[in-house]
Amino acid sequence: MQDFLELAVSASASGCVYGLVALAYLLMIRPTAIINFAVGEWAMVGAFGGFLLLTRAEWPYPVGMAAVLLAMLAVGWATERIAVRPLVERGAPLLAPILALLGMLVVFRESISLAFGPDPHPVPYPFGFGRLELGPLAGSYQSFFIIATTLVVFAGVWLFFERTVAGKAFEAVAINRRAAALMGINLARVTALSFAGGGAAAGLAGLLVSPNISAHYLMGVPLAIQGFTALVIGGVGRVEGALLGGLVLAFAEQLTVRYAPVPAGYAQGVPLVLLMLFLLVRPTGLLRAREARA
Amino acid sequence: MSELARWLAAAVVLAAVPFFLGEYHNDVYRKMLLWVALALGYNFLFGISGQVAFSHFAFYGIGAYSIVILLFQVGLPLPVAILAGVALCALLALAVAIPSTRLEGFYLALATLAFAQLFVVVLNEGGRVTGGTGGLMDYRLPEIFGVRITGPWYTTVIVAVLLGTYAILARLDRSWFGRACRAIRDNPEAAAAMGVNVARTKVIAFTVTSVLAGLAGMAYAFVDNTVNPPIFGLENAFLLLFMVIVGGSGRPAGAVIGAVLLYLLPFVLSPLIGHHHALVFGLLLVGAMLVQPRGLIGVYDALRRRAA
Amino acid sequence: MRSAGALLEVRGLAKRFGGLAAVSDLDLDVHEGEILGLIGPNGAGKTTTFNLVAGVYPASAGVIRFAGEPLLGLPPHAIAARGVMRTFQHNRPFAGMSVTDNVLVGAHTRFRSGLWSVLAGRARARDEEARQRRRAAELVEFVGLGESAAADVATLSFGQGRLLEIARALAGEPRLMLFDEPAAGLTPAETARLATIIRGIAERGIAVLLIEHDMRFLLPLAHRVAVLNFGLKIADGKPDEIRTHPQVIQAYLGDPGALADAAH
Repeated sequence: MQDFLELAVSASASGCVYGLVALAYLLMIRPTAIINFAVGEWAMVGAFGGFLLLTRAEWPYPVGMAAVLLAMLAVGWATERIAVRPLVERGAPLLAPILALLGMLVVFRESISLAFGPDPHPVPYPFGFGRLELGPLAGSYQSFFIIATTLVVFAGVWLFFERTVAGKAFEAVAINRRAAALMGINLARVTALSFAGGGAAAGLAGLLVSPNISAHYLMGVPLAIQGFTALVIGGVGRVEGALLGGLVLAFAEQLTVRYAPVPAGYAQGVPLVLLMLFLLVRPTGLLRAREARA
Repeated sequence: MSELARWLAAAVVLAAVPFFLGEYHNDVYRKMLLWVALALGYNFLFGISGQVAFSHFAFYGIGAYSIVILLFQVGLPLPVAILAGVALCALLALAVAIPSTRLEGFYLALATLAFAQLFVVVLNEGGRVTGGTGGLMDYRLPEIFGVRITGPWYTTVIVAVLLGTYAILARLDRSWFGRACRAIRDNPEAAAAMGVNVARTKVIAFTVTSVLAGLAGMAYAFVDNTVNPPIFGLENAFLLLFMVIVGGSGRPAGAVIGAVLLYLLPFVLSPLIGHHHALVFGLLLVGAMLVQPRGLIGVYDALRRRAA
Repeated sequence: MRSAGALLEVRGLAKRFGGLAAVSDLDLDVHEGEILGLIGPNGAGKTTTFNLVAGVYPASAGVIRFAGEPLLGLPPHAIAARGVMRTFQHNRPFAGMSVTDNVLVGAHTRFRSGLWSVLAGRARARDEEARQRRRAAELVEFVGLGESAAADVATLSFGQGRLLEIARALAGEPRLMLFDEPAAGLTPAETARLATIIRGIAERGIAVLLIEHDMRFLLPLAHRVAVLNFGLKIADGKPDEIRTHPQVIQAYLGDPGALADAAH
């Protein structure tokens, strides 16, 4: 049992990271229907930001973290400005910005690889290597930090969508772009903000996961796939879905590795199999979007 | 000149080139021809049939690995191994394509992306069958009627695969089938109203192009006489997409141009940016989307229109 | 009302969307060479009826028989294969293909050579392709797009795009043509041309079901007219009868413009 609880904490932490990546996708997909694969590379950039500011420049963790997040807001915004806005304004088909973002994925990865080289770069733990015991649950400080931070972020995003006017505008665009525009909602601003938010969410995911796996120029694509799988599992309709999907995926992965009689390497196959399964059987995910209230 | 004569002339010219090249350049040449074959197939799948898929390169790998496994582990004679490999590719393609017809737009891309990644995972974890992370090596093309085909003569085989691929796709493109594929790409609802069975057409296009990629893969297996997982990773799947878009998607000439250009570009760029040629590809793709989504062919067409 | 030997027979057709009955208990007949106009105020159920015949969505109740065979439940591509072709109200050309190729897609169900013949380059396949191309060229001429035959679809005007819709549908050698508000968005000259074309189609023995709003266009053209209101058929007869039919006039009282048009 103890075994399982420890696994539960570790899986929850992984699930939170996936959930954050899924959240990044969701923030951009809902108002624009654009699937931005570059979120994985954004996470990588966030991790490298952590390396630069926290390891190399040795800034205090909260300051470094805040700086990375601000920088990622800018990166998200800039990406939209360069690769998305010109195409949307031109009325290009949906595939065009998606492909342009795929190009940006490669640009991000190669730029980082060029700047930092192919070796992994360490990112510090905010609370060190220690372990924490909260009642029956035991896990590393980092795991609990990840879980706590993610819950705060999701709570904030949920409140934003449910309780603020800006959040409602977002929802309106997600439901019907043209109607929203006719009601005076500034589509360009919503899109820019959604990409900025996506950048920050992805960057945070990268920053949180990198102490465990180091910042590395190849870490983007696997995270992008895991994040997208989490999104598909949870469903695009609701913010909570992203987190739920992430947790389901992480638990499936870790339970497979721990208890299934297959070689450990096959754990990488879990998100892939789940992705294909869900796309085929239940593409709308586990949670349905809330019905419109009368 | 009749059509057959033109084909023979092209075949002779393409096959004769390696006899004038050294071993290194022959190797570059063959691989370039294989990339052109892949790009033509991918152009049909993506550019003509409108299916965004990342599995094309995985089928290249499935073809390569399966011919080696079937020949040297299962012990099949060469013609049987080729047919078995083709059948395997076809079955896997159907297994992916048939359920995917229900998926809209980019979701097919994701399902095929997962498929491609899964293929690499299976290769890495495949133990003795796939050779694991090191792959399979130390094999050679078996003798055919007592003759061992190597060097520039093997390039002739690759030329045959390329021209065969081109011929099949060209015939399909110019027929009712090619039009049906384009119709589905441009407006699936109208295509259905005109009598096109959208799901079946998509499955056929996916399967045919995947099998062609598999055949190219079989030819590839004997180029370096080694197959290993990194070759068939997502990197190259993206590169294939970039080639087709930068060259000009929907046009075979675009696929050829894109493949030749992006394949040779790293050789030219490597003194400048070493291994990071992918950076240029990414920038080219973004540039193409922003400036001329019709690719280099589109640039050429626009220039010709302006000159007219 | 003649019902014997109708090519298209609709009996008791109904469609409910949630709680809304868009079409209820509808009976229609269309005979070969006949132009049946389907009119009614906005929301009357014309488009729903059209979509049910075209197989866009399933019906809630009723039967549709085409040449004696049931049509309901077939997917759109099977309906086209049976010989029922349609145009779209908002033109839907295949933007990446030439005008001629667009028309050739319409002929999709008429191609007999299979994929193997095509791949093998058999003479039969090549001959069929050549033959269909000639037919497509004739159709392009028939609708009046002759000069634009090789043009890029993007260069066509709205009216020309409408003509392309028609040529494309005709390429399928239909026995029944479904027109969805074909006069919408056309200039008076284009509308007159359209009427000539549709009359020509009916003269070739093709049955025509024509949904239309523009009464000035429809009433002189149709052989018979059925009028819908709130999903129910309220009148069915010759155009002159419909013009003066009290229930039709009442239904259109909310649409005096249409009525004024009809009076001319």
